[in-house]
Amino acid sequence: MRCQRPKNNYQQPKVHNLKSEAPPDKLPSLRKVLGLIWPIYRKHRVRLLLGLMALLGVDFLQLTIPRILKKGIDALSDGTAVQNDLLTLGLLICSIGILAAFLRFCWRYLIIGFSRYLERDLRKKIFSHVMTMDGSFFSKYTTGSIMAHGANDLSAIQMACGMGLVAAIDALVMSVAAISFMFQINTSLTLLALLPMPILAVTTRFLSGRLHQRFDRVQEQFSRMTEFARSSIASIRLLKAYTLEESQTKRFAELGQNYVRSSIQVARIQGLLFPISTMVGSIAMLLILYFGGRLVMLETISMGDFVAFVTYLYMLIWPMMAVGWVANLSQRGVTSLRRIFLLLSEKSQLPPGTRDLKPETREFRIRRLSFSYPGSNRAILQSINIDIQRGILGITGPTGCGKTTLCQVLARVFPVPDNTLFIGDTDINELSPKSVQTLISFVSQEALLFSSSLRDNIAFGNPNAGMELIEKVAKAAVIHDEIMSLPEGYDSMIGEKGVTLSGGQRGRVALARALLCDRPVIIIDDGLAAVDTGTEQEIINNIIPWFSGKTVLWVSQRVKQLSISDRLLVMDQGKISDLGSYDELVLRNSFLKEISQRQHLSREQDNA
Amino acid sequence: MRNFGYFEEDYTQVLSEKGLWRRIFNYLKPFLFPFSGAILLSLFVTASSLGLPWLMQRAIDLYITNPEQSFDLRMTGLGQTGFLYGGLVCLGFITAFLQVLLLEWIGQSIMHSLRQDLFRHLLDVNLAFFNRQPIGRLVTRLTNDIQNMHEMFTSIIVTIFNDLLRMICILGLLLYMNLRLGLLLCLFVPLATGLTILFSKLAREHFRAIRKQLSRLNAFIQETVTGVTLVQLFGRTDDLKKEFTNLNNDYLSKTLRQIKLFGTFMPLTELMSSLAVALILWYGGGEIIRRQLSFGELVAFFSYMRLFFQPLRELSQKYSIVQSALASAERIFNLLDTESEYRTDPDSAHAAPLSLQGELSFKDVTFSYKTNQPVLHDISFTVKKGETVAIVGSTGSGKSTLINLMLRFYEPESGIITLGGHQLPDIARNQLRKEIGVVMQEMLILPDTLLNNIVFDTKKTKAEVVELLENTRLTEFVANLPEGLETIIGEGGQAMSTGEKQLLAIARVLCRNPSLLVLDEASSAIDSRTEKLLEQPLEHCFKEKTVLIIAHRLSTVRRADRIIVLEKGRIIEQGTHTELLARNGMYSQLIALDFGSGSQPTMMNARN
Repeated sequence: MRCQRPKNNYQQPKVHNLKSEAPPDKLPSLRKVLGLIWPIYRKHRVRLLLGLMALLGVDFLQLTIPRILKKGIDALSDGTAVQNDLLTLGLLICSIGILAAFLRFCWRYLIIGFSRYLERDLRKKIFSHVMTMDGSFFSKYTTGSIMAHGANDLSAIQMACGMGLVAAIDALVMSVAAISFMFQINTSLTLLALLPMPILAVTTRFLSGRLHQRFDRVQEQFSRMTEFARSSIASIRLLKAYTLEESQTKRFAELGQNYVRSSIQVARIQGLLFPISTMVGSIAMLLILYFGGRLVMLETISMGDFVAFVTYLYMLIWPMMAVGWVANLSQRGVTSLRRIFLLLSEKSQLPPGTRDLKPETREFRIRRLSFSYPGSNRAILQSINIDIQRGILGITGPTGCGKTTLCQVLARVFPVPDNTLFIGDTDINELSPKSVQTLISFVSQEALLFSSSLRDNIAFGNPNAGMELIEKVAKAAVIHDEIMSLPEGYDSMIGEKGVTLSGGQRGRVALARALLCDRPVIIIDDGLAAVDTGTEQEIINNIIPWFSGKTVLWVSQRVKQLSISDRLLVMDQGKISDLGSYDELVLRNSFLKEISQRQHLSREQDNA
Repeated sequence: MRNFGYFEEDYTQVLSEKGLWRRIFNYLKPFLFPFSGAILLSLFVTASSLGLPWLMQRAIDLYITNPEQSFDLRMTGLGQTGFLYGGLVCLGFITAFLQVLLLEWIGQSIMHSLRQDLFRHLLDVNLAFFNRQPIGRLVTRLTNDIQNMHEMFTSIIVTIFNDLLRMICILGLLLYMNLRLGLLLCLFVPLATGLTILFSKLAREHFRAIRKQLSRLNAFIQETVTGVTLVQLFGRTDDLKKEFTNLNNDYLSKTLRQIKLFGTFMPLTELMSSLAVALILWYGGGEIIRRQLSFGELVAFFSYMRLFFQPLRELSQKYSIVQSALASAERIFNLLDTESEYRTDPDSAHAAPLSLQGELSFKDVTFSYKTNQPVLHDISFTVKKGETVAIVGSTGSGKSTLINLMLRFYEPESGIITLGGHQLPDIARNQLRKEIGVVMQEMLILPDTLLNNIVFDTKKTKAEVVELLENTRLTEFVANLPEGLETIIGEGGQAMSTGEKQLLAIARVLCRNPSLLVLDEASSAIDSRTEKLLEQPLEHCFKEKTVLIIAHRLSTVRRADRIIVLEKGRIIEQGTHTELLARNGMYSQLIALDFGSGSQPTMMNARN
C-alpha cells in the first residue's frame, strides 16, 4: 500500500491492559500493597527461616573453601607441606562440598518452593475475588486482562519473591563476607580490587533499565505482528477473493522488519551487559595481578593470600551482577503486586441486601428505571415502567434497543438505583443478590457452554440431577436425539478436544440447562436465534407446558417465537415503544410488521 | 473458548531429524559468509578467555615467585604481562559484543524470511485447510514457533561451538601443563555429560507436565471468568472454586516436584567443581612437592577448571532449547508442506491472460464439503452477458457454496463451471478472482484511508476513483465521511454503518472492473436509510454489468432479469419474474405474501 499505515492499529489488547489500568494519582502505598503478601510470609515463617539458614550456611561454606586453599598453598610455598596434609585438606573440601550441596537443595526447596505457595495463594485470592464480581467489574476488566494478571503479574511476583529474594540475600551476604575477608588479607589491595565494582553496578543498572524499555517495544511489535497474522488468517476468504495475497504479504514484511530492527536494538544492549561484567571482573583481576603480585614480591602478603584473594574476587563478580538484576526484578514484582492489589480492591456494585424473597413471589415491578453502563453516559434504558406478571412476556425491537440490558438488569448482573425495580413489594436492592439469582433461569444470547461433558453442561444448575431428568429436559429442548447420535451420547465432551456443536445446537443445550433448574422465572435472551425454523416449532410446542405458572421473559426477533407470548413488548432506543397482544401489534406496530413480512418469505421457502 | 496457551506436542519425528537440519541449513545458506564471521569471532572470544589465566600463570611463575631475578626486573616483567592482560580483556569484550550483534542479525534475518515464506504460503493454501485448523494454532506457527527457532540460531549454534572449542582447548592446555593431573580432571567429562543428559531428560518431562497443567489451569480460569455471570446465576460458584483449588494445587505440586529436581541436580555441578578443587589441591600440591608443577600452573589449573565447568552448567538448558526448536521447526515445515492451491494452476507467466468477457455457466455441478453429504445436486444454470440473475433460498440451501465454487475456493465433485466459455481450471486463479467481483457479507477493512481501501492493489489514481464513484452514484456515502476519500477507517479509525460498509464493498469491487459481479446480500435486518443508500448504486450495477445476486430482499429480487429458487442444494424453480408468477408456484406465493394479503392465515398456522 502506498499510504503510510497509521500507528497503533495492531496494538494487541493485552499490552494495553497491562499498562492502562492503574491511574497514577491513585497508586496505593507500598505498605498497603505489601500487606497483601505479608500474611502469606507469616504463615510460612518457619519454612522461610529454615531456608534462610540453609542459604547462609551455603554462603559460609563457600567462603571457607578459599581459606583451606590458602592454608594448603602457604604450606606448599613454605615447603612444609606433606602429601598427607594435602589429602586431609582435599577431603575437607570434598565434605564441605557435599554439605553445601545438601544445604543448596534445602534452600531451593524451601525458599523457591515458598514462592510457589505464594503464587498459588495469590491466584486463589484473585479467582475467588473475581467470582464474586458483578457486571460493572467486567465492563472494566476484560477476560484477557484478568488472564494477564493471572499469568504475567503472578509470575513476576513469584520470581521476585523466590529467586529475587534468594539472590538479594545471597549477594548481600557473599559480598560483605568476601570483602571483609579480603580486608583481612590486605586493606589497600582490597580497595584497589573494589575500585571497578561500582562501575559495574551502575552500568548494569542503567543498561538493564534501557533493556526493559526496548524489550517492551519488541513485545509491542510482536503483538502487532501476531494481531496482523490473526486478522489476516481470519479473513483469508476475502483476501483470496480480492487477490490481496501480495499486498498483504508486503504489509506483513513491513511489520516483520520493524520487529527485526527492534530486536537488534535489544541485542545491542544484551551484547554489552554480559561482556561488561566479565570485563570489569577482569580489570579488577588485572589490578590484583599487578599490585598484589608486587606485594607478594615485597613479601607483604603470602602466595596463599594471593590465591585466596583471587578466589574471593571471583566470588564478588556475581553479587555485583546480581544487584542490577535484583533491582529490576523487585521493581517488576512491586508493579505487578500493585496491579493485583487494585484488582482485589474492586468491589461488587450490587448492594449487599440481606432480605430473602417470600416463597411465592415471581412478579416484577419496574418504575421509571433508567440505566447506563458503568463509565458511560449513554442511557441504554430510559424511564421504563412495566409490571411483569406470570405468563409469557415477549420482548422484541431492533438491535441495540436495550432488550439484553433489560434482561441483565433483571438477572442482577448490573446494579440499579433504589426504588426502580421491585420483586413483589420488595425493592430489589434490599434483597440479597443470591436470592434473586436463584429465582431466575437464564438462557443467554450466546450459548456459553463449558468444556465438560454434555451431561454436566445440562445439569449445570443442579449437578445431582438424575439421568431421567436430564433426558427429559433435553427432549423438551429437542437436542436429545442429536446427543444420542454421538458415539458417547451424554458423556461426549464439548470443546476443542471433544465435539463441536453448531450455534443452534448450543442454544438448545443452553435451553435444556435452564429448563432443568425449574425456577419460577425464566429469561430467554434471544437464546434460540440460531435454531432452524423446523426445530423452532417443535421446541415451542414442547416447552409451553413447562412455562405454566411461571414468569417468562422471551426476547426474540423471530415472529414464531413472539407469537406465543401472552403480552408483547416492543422496545426502541431504550424505551418501551409498544405493548399489547401479538395479534394487535402485528397489525399496528411497524417493526413487527416488517420482521413478520421478511420472515414469511424465508419460512415459505423452508416449508416448500 | 480455549485459546489460552494450549498444549503443543513435542517433536514427533514425522520429518526425520536429518531432513529437518537440512531444511534449516537451506535457510542459513544465504548467510554463510556472516555466519563464518561469527565463528571466526568465537575463536577470538575463546582465545581471550583462555589467554587470561595463562598470562596470570606466567606472571606468577616468571615474576612473582621468582626470587632469582632483581625486584625491578620482576616488576617490569609484571607490568608488561599486565599490559598484555589488559589488551586481551579489551579484545574479549569487543569480539564478544560483535558476535552477539552479528548472530542476532543473522538469526533475525533468517527468521524474517522464514516467517515471510510461511505467511505467504498460508495465504496460498486451500481454503478447506482453514476449516480444520483453529486460527490460534496457525498464528502460533508464525509467531511463537518462529521465535523458538530464533533462539536456536542466536544462542545455540555458535555458543555450542564456543563451548566445545573452549572445553577442548582447556583440556588440551591442562594435559600440556601436567599430563597426569589433566587426565584426572578428564574423568569429570563423562560424569558431567551423563548427569547433564539425565537431567535434561527428566527436566523436559517435568516442564511438559507443568506446561500442560498450567494450560489446563489457565483454560479453566478463562472459561470460568468468561461465564462468570452464568456461574453466579446457576449458583455454582462454590463448586467451581473447589475445582479451581484442585487444579491450582496440582499445579503447585508439579512445580514443587520440578524444584526438587532442580534442587538435586543444580548443586551437583557445584559439588563437582568442589571435588575438582580438592583433587587439584591434593594431587597438584603433591606434584609441586615432587617439583613436577609450578605455583603458577597450579593457580592456572584452578582458573581453567572454573572455566571448564561454566558451560556444563548451561548445557542442559541449551539441550532443551534445541529440542523445543526442533519441535517448532518440524511444525513449521509440516505447515509449509501443505499443498498450495496455486500448484494446480495453469502457468500464467507464459500464457497470455484469457479473455473472459461473457457468460457464467454451471453444468450438472455436484458438490459436498463432507463425503456423502452433498450440498449441491446437479446444478445447471447460465448467466448471460449483461443479465442480472437473483438466487433465493433459505439458509443452508447452498447459495454461498455457489460463490465458493465460482472463485475456486473448492473444486466441484462433478460437473463443469465455465466463465466466458473457458472451464475454470484453465483460468489462473488470480485472473479468475479479478474477473469475478464479489461483494460478500463479511467485510475486510484495512486500517487505512478510504481511498486505499477502495483501490487495494488495482493502482487506480484518486481522480479515476472519483470519476468511478460519480458514474456509479456512490458519491453520497463518501461525502458523509469527515475527510472524504482520505478518511482513515478500520480499527482505530472512523466507524462506518453497515450500509456504508456495503457501499464500500461495492465501490471496491467496481474499481476492479470485473466482468461478472456477484453480490451476497446481507441477510440481517437492514434499516430503511441503508436501503435507500444502496438503491441507486445497485440500480446502476444491474444496468451496466453481468450480475449474480444472492438475494434476501424482495425489492432486489423483483428487479432481477431472472430468478433461480434454490432449495436443499437443488434448483426448484427458474425463470423471469413474470414467468414464475404465471407458473403460480412457490415464487408467486412469495409475492402474494409480500403484498400482505396472505400473512394472517400463515401466522395462525404457526401458533397452532
